[in-house]
Amino acid sequence: MATNLMPALDPAPIPGPVWLFHLLWVVTFLVHMLFVNVVLGGSLLATFAGSSRREVQSFFVNANSWAISFAITFGIAPLLFIQVLYGRLFYTATILVAGSWLGMLGLLMVGYYLNYVAKFRLQKGKGVGISLPLSALCFVLIALIQVMVNLLHLQPSRWEGVWTQAKSALADPTFFPRFLHFLLAALAMAGALAAYVAVRRAKTQGQTAELTDMARLGVKAALYTSVVQLLVGFWLLLALPSPVLSAFMKGGAATTLPLGLGILAGIGLLVVLAGIREPIAEGTKVRRAMEFLVGAVALMIITRHQLREAYLAEWQPLAGAQVVPQWGIFLVFLVTFLVGVGLTVYAMYKAATDKPQVGEPAA
Amino acid sequence: MDYPLWIPGIGAGVLIGLVAIAHVLVSHFAVGGGIVMAVVETLAVRRQDQAMRNLAKRTSLILILVSTVFGAISGVGIWVTIGLLHPVATSALIHSYVWGWATEWVFFILEVATALAYYATWDKVRPRTHLLLIWLYAFAAFMSLVIIQGIISFMLTPGNWLESKAFVDGFFNPTYVPGLVLRTGICVFLAGAYMAFAALREQDQAARVRLVRFLAGIQVVGILIAYGGYRWWEAALPESIRALFLGASPKLAALASTRHFLLWMLAAYFLLVLFALLAPKAQRWPVTAVALLLAFAFFGGYERLREGARKPFIIRDYMFSNGVLISEIAKLNQEGILSKARWLMVGQPDEPVAKGRAVFRAQCAMCHTENGYLGIRKLVAGADPETLDLILTTMREEGDTYVSGQYTVNSHVATENLNYPFMPPFVGTEEEKEALKTYLATLTETKVAEVRHGN
Repeated sequence: MATNLMPALDPAPIPGPVWLFHLLWVVTFLVHMLFVNVVLGGSLLATFAGSSRREVQSFFVNANSWAISFAITFGIAPLLFIQVLYGRLFYTATILVAGSWLGMLGLLMVGYYLNYVAKFRLQKGKGVGISLPLSALCFVLIALIQVMVNLLHLQPSRWEGVWTQAKSALADPTFFPRFLHFLLAALAMAGALAAYVAVRRAKTQGQTAELTDMARLGVKAALYTSVVQLLVGFWLLLALPSPVLSAFMKGGAATTLPLGLGILAGIGLLVVLAGIREPIAEGTKVRRAMEFLVGAVALMIITRHQLREAYLAEWQPLAGAQVVPQWGIFLVFLVTFLVGVGLTVYAMYKAATDKPQVGEPAA
Repeated sequence: MDYPLWIPGIGAGVLIGLVAIAHVLVSHFAVGGGIVMAVVETLAVRRQDQAMRNLAKRTSLILILVSTVFGAISGVGIWVTIGLLHPVATSALIHSYVWGWATEWVFFILEVATALAYYATWDKVRPRTHLLLIWLYAFAAFMSLVIIQGIISFMLTPGNWLESKAFVDGFFNPTYVPGLVLRTGICVFLAGAYMAFAALREQDQAARVRLVRFLAGIQVVGILIAYGGYRWWEAALPESIRALFLGASPKLAALASTRHFLLWMLAAYFLLVLFALLAPKAQRWPVTAVALLLAFAFFGGYERLREGARKPFIIRDYMFSNGVLISEIAKLNQEGILSKARWLMVGQPDEPVAKGRAVFRAQCAMCHTENGYLGIRKLVAGADPETLDLILTTMREEGDTYVSGQYTVNSHVATENLNYPFMPPFVGTEEEKEALKTYLATLTETKVAEVRHGN
């Protein structure tokens, strides 16, 4: 591609040190992805679980009426920071597949409302019908669009090809393994969460056959998807363009450590999951599995971010950019963040615990 | 401009308008709904008023469905849309205001969490905790308005930011407070107008009358605040913007009509609300529906007016609606617009019509479609090459006027003195101007075959 298709750098200075935006991107993207995994994996697992497993379906449909909102809300922050760090690449990539990128909103809206349809159907004692599978399909398509845009913003050399031939937006040897990597992680997370919730519910509400079944299903789902994930992970690694892979590997401990630890966390997860015979009775192991999984996701997000830097090494997206920090307003943000999170936690704590005594009025 | 250009069939402005109008109607209801519901439930608890409690409860499901789902997604939708259609402007806003948006995002978290918890805890928590949730929600939702208003109003009246480029100057710009007052009024009356439907579902007649009257009172307050805010907003505008739609001979007749329209809508809405206040017993849903539509019409009219009043800029006195900066006119006149809009010549033959079309897409397509909204084919129909040349030459000279600062005081351009007070100047080389002229001339011939080929 003619290098001159790269849009010019925004003349306005970057309003804070670059490392701060990298840090904030990684942290907020991690939270976003935890919710995304619950939404995507949860809607899929609930669909696969089938209508005979009401406990599982009702858990995910209810959880998702919250998780979708949080996935969207926690998506806003990384969306802001990616524009500061990689604006030129990000805008171009989205414009190249503008129809799909805009269509994502429609899918999100339909997926979310269908989840409410499923929720109200279950509340009325009916089955979820096609609302749940359709909702899951919407989220799968959104994941596909995200992977497509992500790969495009990493590779300016593909832009001209996509501009003249839209279909080639999907033609990337890493597309399929990357998409699969995403789906499997989401399913594993949903499985582990289902098992974890079943164990907790059994403890507080007493063990039932449904909860035992939910826990078993969750562990099984997490185990099987993680076995496949190990293979897909290596497939993805080997499918990376060789300059990217070698740049990544030459990064020393800074890049190989998060990846190595991430793989180890994945193996640890497999070992723990494989050792669970009866999940309801082995709550500690289920919790350990959850911890390994969250750890693996966190480490893989660091790796994902470092891989982007390797992809973009030759483009230097911020070369020549001026930095003029707006510390005053950053401080306003920081204080608001601390107070806001504190208030949110306090409000949720009160909402969960401030139950009226017998004879006392309720809201 | 530096980016590949994507314009949907309905036109860029129409798409942004559709997404934005859908979002603001919902988001302002989400803010006002929080405030009014908090007041309603507080009164319900204090007065042990079951009807008031039911009103809040009935509204809360809609509030979360609308606020946490549609409001959140359409809000992201505006981002997605402007990022696709105006990447350069979006990037400029991000660089100036990312910490403002990050702060707003914190309020979104609080807003979403409390809205969901509020709905989920009816009959499950003590009243004081339920009130805590709705008041926190109202606070967070209002704060998100307090922040976004700074950025929206900045685009129309950037004020001292033009010189200092300081966050505070851009944020607390001349129309910030008037616009905030206006929007607060809109939030309150929209909430009242919507909740009036829920009030009509109350079975007990005495209670229903009480609720209808109460909500009419809320709407009266909202309307008065909004009207005051609107007049204040008008007064705070610089003369160059007022000239577009105010005075004896407004420069943009369509905007002047929009202004008349929205004020009449507000007056009609006010009368219907007075009717509800004075004769609450006679209130029926069709009247409530008409009142809500009139409220929407006023608000939609205002948004259209505010967006239109920004012409020819997207960020007033800084960036034109086609993404060209005032500061780069001279450079682009020398190097050519296509030296910047490189994407538009990819795969195109190096000949005048293709070049002219690329120039059109770079500079005009943001507002003018070919055959649809503000369609250029219709606008140039019948114009001979001399006329086209005269228009383009004048428009190019207006670029020089911007550069020389002839009408510029404290970085603010008195656009009312220009020949084209609502169109960006033509920017580019002489050769590009000729190419554009050649391309436009092909549109004046309305042969069927050409209509089919033009895309």
